Amino acid sequence: MRIPPALRSASAGFFMLVFLVQLVSGAALLLYVRHIVAGELERSSRTLVAALRDDFVADYRQEGQAGMRRLIAAHLAEPRSREAVVLLDDPQGVRLAGNIEEWPATLSYAAGWRVLRLFRLGQDRAEMMGVSSIVLPGGEHLLVGHVIEGDLRVRRLTGEAALAALLLAVPLALLGAVVATRVVTVRVERVADTARRVGAGDLSIRVPIEAGAHDAFTALGSAINAMLERIEALVVELRVVTDSLAHDLRSPLTRLRATIERAARETDDEIALAALDRVAADAQALLAMLATALEISRAEAGIGRDRFVSVDLGRMARDLTELYGPLAEDGGMTVQAEGEAEAAVHRELLGQALGNLVDNAIKYGRPGGAIRLAVTCPPDGVHIAVEDDGPGIAPEHRAEALRRFGRLDPARGTGGAGLGLALAAAVARLHGGTLTLGDRAPGLSVTIALPR
Amino acid sequence: MTQKILLVEDDPRTAAYIVKGLVEEGMIVDHAATGRDGLFHATDGGYDAIVLDRMLPGMDGMAVLGALRAGGIHTPVLMLSALGAVDDRVAGLNAGSDDYLTKPFAFAELLARLRLMLRRGASGPQLETRLACGDLAMDLLSRKVKRGARAVDLQPREFRLLEYLLRHQGEVVTRTMLLEGVWDYHFDPGTNVIDVHISRLRRKIDDGEAAPLIHTVRGAGYRLSADGG
Repeated sequence: MRIPPALRSASAGFFMLVFLVQLVSGAALLLYVRHIVAGELERSSRTLVAALRDDFVADYRQEGQAGMRRLIAAHLAEPRSREAVVLLDDPQGVRLAGNIEEWPATLSYAAGWRVLRLFRLGQDRAEMMGVSSIVLPGGEHLLVGHVIEGDLRVRRLTGEAALAALLLAVPLALLGAVVATRVVTVRVERVADTARRVGAGDLSIRVPIEAGAHDAFTALGSAINAMLERIEALVVELRVVTDSLAHDLRSPLTRLRATIERAARETDDEIALAALDRVAADAQALLAMLATALEISRAEAGIGRDRFVSVDLGRMARDLTELYGPLAEDGGMTVQAEGEAEAAVHRELLGQALGNLVDNAIKYGRPGGAIRLAVTCPPDGVHIAVEDDGPGIAPEHRAEALRRFGRLDPARGTGGAGLGLALAAAVARLHGGTLTLGDRAPGLSVTIALPR
Repeated sequence: MTQKILLVEDDPRTAAYIVKGLVEEGMIVDHAATGRDGLFHATDGGYDAIVLDRMLPGMDGMAVLGALRAGGIHTPVLMLSALGAVDDRVAGLNAGSDDYLTKPFAFAELLARLRLMLRRGASGPQLETRLACGDLAMDLLSRKVKRGARAVDLQPREFRLLEYLLRHQGEVVTRTMLLEGVWDYHFDPGTNVIDVHISRLRRKIDDGEAAPLIHTVRGAGYRLSADGG
């Protein structure tokens, strides 16, 4: 599937977003699980230690120091106390009982839960253990603890498992992002494609909407379709209005012209005939203007796109050169055509547009200058340029020059209603192309670019 | 021979103007104001040509034309329309009209096209190798042109322009007819493009000759003929 660059970069952003969100949420979930597991393990060790300490303290109260020492020895001898840590010192710090050699230097006599690395008697290596200490009523110091090496191993394993899960989540997140991006892109592209084709002038195109689906995409499609309905209705209305206008304006003009003709037939008065000729010429100019304005409206509405035929543009350029050549030569100018290309175009409208441009070049070019009609084939389409070596149009006046009935004073103020360029631009747009005004320094170049 | 024309046109003033002009030219004209009447008349028949307005109340011109052609009636039709756009012209011609004229038209333009259509209907296309008018002779095979004993050297397009005038000699040809017949374009070229071509041709044909052959017809166009104005 071909995706236009603008959409492609937007898709890349969306792709990254989906990917990262999946990855971050996966990682957060795993960290949370690890945190819960670690917390639970620590809590159970602490509960164990606290219970043991409370047992010893209760014994001390009942049976005194000696009873307690016996209990400690008995407790440590039991197999289920493999992980237990106990140390009982007298008030002077002399060890009375337990499986630790001496009181750890960093531990105060009444400390809450601490994690230390200590040697137990009979063990050849230091172990991690959670301990808690208390001062007994008789001044003895009691340390009770629990070896947590197992807990730590579980914690480490949980971390490793989380990391492995996270590594597995990367390809899954990638896959998810690919699928999500593709689904979104396909549906957005459907809307974009419709918009493009409508932009190119086919107003009957609508966004395809899947029956039964009720999501944001179908809502978007429906909204755009409603908008297109409205635009199409307006364009049709515009066409009806312009056509009626043509009809309504042309009928009285027909009669006006008939009257002028009849008057001319019925008089031999030279002065009257000259006046009638001038009136007839004005009526003709008015009609031509009206016809061109209508032609522009229709081209802008995309009417005539069904009449494209393959045309030899090089030959069209030569035909126009030949048609306008004598007129140019009367003004001491030359017209030349060059280049070859073939394209599907509206022959009449393009011919008229180019004819208007050549006519303009003859009117506004340099007397004695050269006019060139160049057909070129750049990779993106076909360009037809009409160039003169006259004064040109200053960049700030170019937009005005392309406007319907826009006329440039004073340089280009002679004759014409300024419809020639507007028609050429409308014809270029009818073909999905553009019209640009350029500077030949000196001179004007008008280029109609038609897409492939 | 008197020619019988059917005019189908709803605007009474335009209709009156056309009827008057055609009658002055010695034709018999029947007028129908609606498409239905027009179709009725046309089927009944015996017309040499039909002038048919495109926009009619009820049944429009295109529908009338379609019904005629579907009914096997091949009377030449000249379609009139206020829709001047090139597309409508093409659509009209495709639908089977023989020519298409945009309102407003000069009566001379209508007459010139009508006469051309009537003659085409009467004789059909002819294969000729020589065309002549007075002492002007054109050889279509060798592509040589002579005025009396003088050889006239013409550019290819001037040759085709003169050929067109010779094939329609004695008749008025309008500027748009020339643009269509010689250049095969139907748009309004503006200014006086065709006039410049004619004046060049005239210089080559008529300069220094006692009797000019190319005549300007006021308000209409040109006529090539040996018998003067």
